[in-house]
Amino acid sequence: MLSRRSFFKFLGWGNFLAAAGLAFGPGLIRFLYPRVLFEPSSVFKAGFPGEYPPGTVSEKFKKNPYGVWIVRKEDGEFYALVAICTHLGCTPRWFASENKFKCPCHGSGFDREGMHFEGPAPRPLERVQITLAEDGQLLIDKSVKFLEERGDWGKPGSTLRI
Amino acid sequence: MEYFLLLVTKPDNVPIVAIVLLLPFFTWLAFSQGRRNDLAGTPAEAALNDKVYCWPYLCRNEFLCAIITMLVLGIWSITIDAPLEEPSDPTITPNPSKAPWYFLALQEMLVYFDPWIAGVVLPGLIIAGLIAIPYIDINPKGKGYYTLKERPFALITFCFGFFVLWIVLMVVGTFLRGPGWNFFAPWKEWDPHKIVPLTNVNLSYLFGIRNEQPAGIFGMCVVVGYFALGPIYYFLKRGTSKFLQELGLVRYIVVSFLFLTMMSLPIKMILRWTLNIKYIWVSPWFNI
Amino acid sequence: MNERRNGLKEKITNNQIWQSMFRHGYEKTGRRYTLQVLQNVWLHLHPPRVTRHAINFRFTWCMGGITFLMFLVTAVTGVLLMFYYRPTAEYAFRDIQYLEFDIPFGMLLRNMHRWAAHGMVIAVMLHMFRVFLTGSYKKPREFNWGVGVILLLVTFFLSFTGYLLPWDQLAFWAVTVGTNMARATPVLGHEGPFAPQDIVTQANDVRFALLGGTIVGPSTLLRFYILHCVAVPLLASVLMALHFWRVRKDGGISGPL
Repeated sequence: MLSRRSFFKFLGWGNFLAAAGLAFGPGLIRFLYPRVLFEPSSVFKAGFPGEYPPGTVSEKFKKNPYGVWIVRKEDGEFYALVAICTHLGCTPRWFASENKFKCPCHGSGFDREGMHFEGPAPRPLERVQITLAEDGQLLIDKSVKFLEERGDWGKPGSTLRI
Repeated sequence: MEYFLLLVTKPDNVPIVAIVLLLPFFTWLAFSQGRRNDLAGTPAEAALNDKVYCWPYLCRNEFLCAIITMLVLGIWSITIDAPLEEPSDPTITPNPSKAPWYFLALQEMLVYFDPWIAGVVLPGLIIAGLIAIPYIDINPKGKGYYTLKERPFALITFCFGFFVLWIVLMVVGTFLRGPGWNFFAPWKEWDPHKIVPLTNVNLSYLFGIRNEQPAGIFGMCVVVGYFALGPIYYFLKRGTSKFLQELGLVRYIVVSFLFLTMMSLPIKMILRWTLNIKYIWVSPWFNI
Repeated sequence: MNERRNGLKEKITNNQIWQSMFRHGYEKTGRRYTLQVLQNVWLHLHPPRVTRHAINFRFTWCMGGITFLMFLVTAVTGVLLMFYYRPTAEYAFRDIQYLEFDIPFGMLLRNMHRWAAHGMVIAVMLHMFRVFLTGSYKKPREFNWGVGVILLLVTFFLSFTGYLLPWDQLAFWAVTVGTNMARATPVLGHEGPFAPQDIVTQANDVRFALLGGTIVGPSTLLRFYILHCVAVPLLASVLMALHFWRVRKDGGISGPL
């Protein structure tokens, strides 16, 4: 039988631990995740389709803060690859002469499609949504991702055919 | 060779050069004292067991040590400037990009394991394993003096982990890894376009298993079987080994798990070098 | 001459101000040696007396002490560097250049800070090596060995957070590569095994808490600065106090019993 004294002892300590635990546990953790981020917008316009000759990999929007390659296939189809290596997040480079993206950190290689074929990368490069804006420019939305391992690459928005 | 010399004299690599020079000296210092103690039968420190006043005898030594250290640090700071490269640019990754030198053993492990093992699980287990050492080492001998023959297993295991899996990997990562994290011998020039044919295959493929599911089950059996080696040995030897009985099942399982995990790194490295093994166990969620 | 010197000494020490600060005399006796340690806040980390082998460099290598000295050097030089350094993406790199080229002794202070940090990592590794080789982690020092391992981790983390602050290519990419491993944390990282898809994302995984963003950016610089200059040094100080206190309470520096 719980005595009154020990009941209040448990109640007191319980309250103290719960309050301290909530403040330093979930409270502190939540504090580390702000509601608003001042990061570059994930949506941007990437010029007119005519600026990209078929069969090329454009590094024009690889620069900060965009970080995507816009690839146009021989048949005129567009897709956008995120310039972040799927191994540890370095920025790969495009070697046109070798027809591959090569990551300088650990040597992962990706072909023009973004498929990984060498090195430690566990999955292909990510593609992001590419559509046409109302003014006829390419519109890239980096917040919408298409991952090959989920079978997303054929889905609408992952490629753009003009 | 020129590249190698450039690397060795790079300001940020001075500490690792210092470690390479200091460690053999301190290892010799420790092992010679251990040998002396073993030969004498009683540790030399036991004869020096009388007490001296901290002031001035200990404080004097500490002061001396601090002055010499500050002298070395002062000369180091006057002669070698801390590096400052060009301003950061998120779109240009230097080739190669390296972590600070004391994390290069971890970066080197990334060649052989996926990031979740090399970057998270293994470091976590290293820390947990180090903290566990006093609780799993039940050898009462060798407390407070250098010795070699009174605790051979503890010394060999620790020195293997420290020298081979930490220091050597660090040195390889610092001095012998070039563009694309490719291996370059000291006399070779760093060629950013070096192409290394990567013909790595999974273990199941070597055994002729081509389908995904049987390959996954095969890999699981290999990994689980590897870690089961410990318990199997325990149940075979329990009856006859007094040491195992003293250690007890729980301690034994912790020891064998940590030991087998540590040995999995050199095993995977050797498998990669000889048989070009990429993964042992491929599953839809993770690869080992 | 001797008399005049003694007279001067008498004048300096035999008054209320001096005696309010220093309670013991300077005679060469065991009593004074004991009081010197006991009545001094900086020295009373030590016991009055230690075993003779504990003052032997061959036995101790003095590596724990060197680690602490390096910590003190980085603390002092670090505070001085903070006078001129602003942890924002616009200014960080330029402030380092300013420190190097325009501040008297700025370059020297930066060098000392960086090399002392590297020296601390070296010394702490050698300290652990010595403690292991002498079996000094054994009972009753198990807990203090654990504190020491955490301090090793804290030392690495101190050095790692400081690595980003110059905001140059070396810093940026070393930290990018280092923190990207957190992406692969099982369950808690958005690319880790068993992480629930679309629930654990780039914006709420464990790496985000460290970086304060989805990429290494200005908020990462600020976070690392706070960790490097305030949070981790405080943690290190608390753990060091515990570590030193336990060395004494667990029987002083280890030796054959």
